[in-house]
Amino acid sequence: MVFSSIPFLYYFLPVVLVLYFIAPRCLKNPVLLVSSLVFYGWGEPKYVFLMVLTVLQAYVFGLLIEKNRGKFLSRLYLVLSVLFCLAGLLFFKYADFFIGNFNAVTGLSLPFLRLALPIGISFYTFQILSYIVDVYRGGVPAQKNPVNLATYVALFPQLIAGPIVRYSDIEKQLVCRSHTFEKTAQGIKRFMIGFGKKIILANTLGGLCEGFLVSSDLSVLYYWLYAVSYMLQIYFDFSGYSDMAIGLGKILGFDFLENFNYPFISKSITEFWRRWHMSLGSWFRDYVYIPMGGNRANKGRWLFNIFTVWFLTGFWHGAEWNFILWGLYFGVLLVLEKFFFLDKLKKIRELSRVYTLFFTAISFMIFSGNNLEGAVRHVSGLFGAGNIPLVSQEFFYNLRNYGFTIIIGILGATPIPKVLWGKLSEKKNFKAVLDVLEVVLLVLLLVVCTAYLADGSFNPFLYFRF
Amino acid sequence: MKIKDIVLTVIFIILIGVISVFAWVKAPAEYSAGERRFLKEKPVLSSETVLNGEYMKDFEEYTVDQFPFRDDLRGVKALFSTYVLNKMDNNGLFAVDGHISKLEYPVNPDMMDNAAEKFDFLYEKFIKGKTDNVYLSVVPDKNIFFGEKGYLTIDYEKFIGDFREKVPYMKYIDIVPFLSSDDFYRTDSHWKQEEIRDIALYIAKEMGSDADAEYAVNTLDVPFRGVYLGQSALPFKADTIKYLTNDILSSLKVYYYDTGMKEEGEIYNMEKARGKDPYEMFLSGTTPLVEIENPNASSGKQLVVFRDSYGSSLVPLLVPAYEKISVVDIRYIQSNFVGNFVDFSDADVLFLYSTTLLNNSTALR
Repeated sequence: MVFSSIPFLYYFLPVVLVLYFIAPRCLKNPVLLVSSLVFYGWGEPKYVFLMVLTVLQAYVFGLLIEKNRGKFLSRLYLVLSVLFCLAGLLFFKYADFFIGNFNAVTGLSLPFLRLALPIGISFYTFQILSYIVDVYRGGVPAQKNPVNLATYVALFPQLIAGPIVRYSDIEKQLVCRSHTFEKTAQGIKRFMIGFGKKIILANTLGGLCEGFLVSSDLSVLYYWLYAVSYMLQIYFDFSGYSDMAIGLGKILGFDFLENFNYPFISKSITEFWRRWHMSLGSWFRDYVYIPMGGNRANKGRWLFNIFTVWFLTGFWHGAEWNFILWGLYFGVLLVLEKFFFLDKLKKIRELSRVYTLFFTAISFMIFSGNNLEGAVRHVSGLFGAGNIPLVSQEFFYNLRNYGFTIIIGILGATPIPKVLWGKLSEKKNFKAVLDVLEVVLLVLLLVVCTAYLADGSFNPFLYFRF
Repeated sequence: MKIKDIVLTVIFIILIGVISVFAWVKAPAEYSAGERRFLKEKPVLSSETVLNGEYMKDFEEYTVDQFPFRDDLRGVKALFSTYVLNKMDNNGLFAVDGHISKLEYPVNPDMMDNAAEKFDFLYEKFIKGKTDNVYLSVVPDKNIFFGEKGYLTIDYEKFIGDFREKVPYMKYIDIVPFLSSDDFYRTDSHWKQEEIRDIALYIAKEMGSDADAEYAVNTLDVPFRGVYLGQSALPFKADTIKYLTNDILSSLKVYYYDTGMKEEGEIYNMEKARGKDPYEMFLSGTTPLVEIENPNASSGKQLVVFRDSYGSSLVPLLVPAYEKISVVDIRYIQSNFVGNFVDFSDADVLFLYSTTLLNNSTALR
């Protein structure tokens, strides 16, 4: 089930909220757990068992690690649990990738497994890994209550598209959390903003991107229009989903960490990755990069650490070479910035934004290629490869058709609206008006988003490969 | 605690709660008149459909189709998309110059080939050697008039030229110069019968006949909500259907072959005029084969028309020139069987098809 659907908003969520709020404190987590399993099972009934099994092993190994703290067995249990988690991820997500490459190298033709990817496996695997590693490190105590641990992993607001919530961040909230009108209102507001981002902006721009991919009227400027639209689509889709997750979390009493912070205003690629999918970046930093030695090593090892992390970051996003290329591309840019021109970028403020947007746009074209060949085609198309014309009929049409949405998207991807709203709120005369206006706009947003859903408009699910 | 927070929370609880209850208890509708389609029924719950995910998929479609106030909400979406996001089209439909139209883009060469192959089959199997009078006329969709407004349109001249090359045994009758956007209904894809008299005369003339006749113009007393009106959900006024009558048309013998049975009827089906799609009043709409006998004709000539729905309103205007007209729609009859019902000897044969159908020809059998 996805948030941006009628079954979720008008069937699942109201029932869950009623059950959750009438349940006594001791039953709130069981209610959340059962609802989350229904939520997950709605899309992947078969894979509920896989998730439950993964949680159970983490529960058992967590307790065993704690019991044997300081002993060799503790490390053994950690390794076993990590292997268990990674085996599931590798098998379901990467088996066909490895088979395909093995066949290509050896000339054999081993049959593909063609397994359906369990939705959200990359997210919940990383969450479980963070739990088990944190328990091993002594950062958090092992969870004694399997329902609480399963609730943490399966918690439907963040289950299928993140943010990657760490156990340590919500450990206490799993046992004790507050529910107030203020928090609920914040949650509703955040959910609605995310809902609007996804339904109105991401899905609308998705229409342009979908049309581009089947177009036979390509041109250089159409490639660039696609690149801009795709960047915005992915941003509003992903950050919108994170907003909805954070909002739902608040309604249920949880405080999830932020996942996006206006990444397109970054003045360097380094900064971009501090603002884009922050929960993934920090996960790789804390569970891969730093354990490998981080930057406290000689230059060669440091470079190796950086490229390993970015290879894995790319591979995490999808089992195709273009995703690996995408990760390594960022690795190269980050290394270049670190060693050569990060300081210079700080001096050329506005140009540094152009630089960042340009290289980010290239990266998204690599990302959108779906395979290496597609990535090369998309990137080279930006520069006119293949003798395509500068403009085409479809370019002009889509520019007019989506131009205003793109402008709204560009503005919405900056802090400008938030800053303006904040400044107006500070003025006495405006405060009351804005308070009323905010409620009215949120209600209108609900009506319009519901209208889009009722229309059965284009509503892609972009997280199938995660 | 802020009042705003309480108000916001309470409003959302009420809104989502009320809509949710309504969605749960609302009796499902069977048919959407606006979209002219049957709506999804509640799926059957079973362990098999749950485990293979079919139930969930069907339930999602069911909840969308049966959502309370769906038609109004579709209107809200269309208006928001058009006037707030400033989009030129909404789900491929757009309003321009007082018309609602649908993007017919891009050209599907495979579909053109498919249509040409079907026509080749008919020609080789039934027509070749029996008559040389084989004609093609192509009706452009009304987007031909909206390309200059910036909408995506196919290159009609090239499209028709390419198609003509695929059927070199047909003599082409060019009706494009006779058309303007006013000849089409504002809310529908079809042309208006009262506006295409000149086209009927010209086609007949090109086939060596004279279809000149006087007509009375009658106005149908029910509003015509064209196919695009419901699909677009835009706030447009309905069209009015006008149809032409005279003594010749009222004295015809008209036979409809449907499901293998031959039934006598009228050239205008007034029951269908009050049905789901009033345009189906012309030659009873979707019928595989119609035979029209004109006892007043003295020409002795016969015409066979292979056509799509545009032919329904045009064919009655060709009647004065022919003693017998056979109207065949190979979307509803296998091409193989056409020879069982139609005699092509010395007949004029007209292929009258729209660009829309030639570009989406999967329905041809």
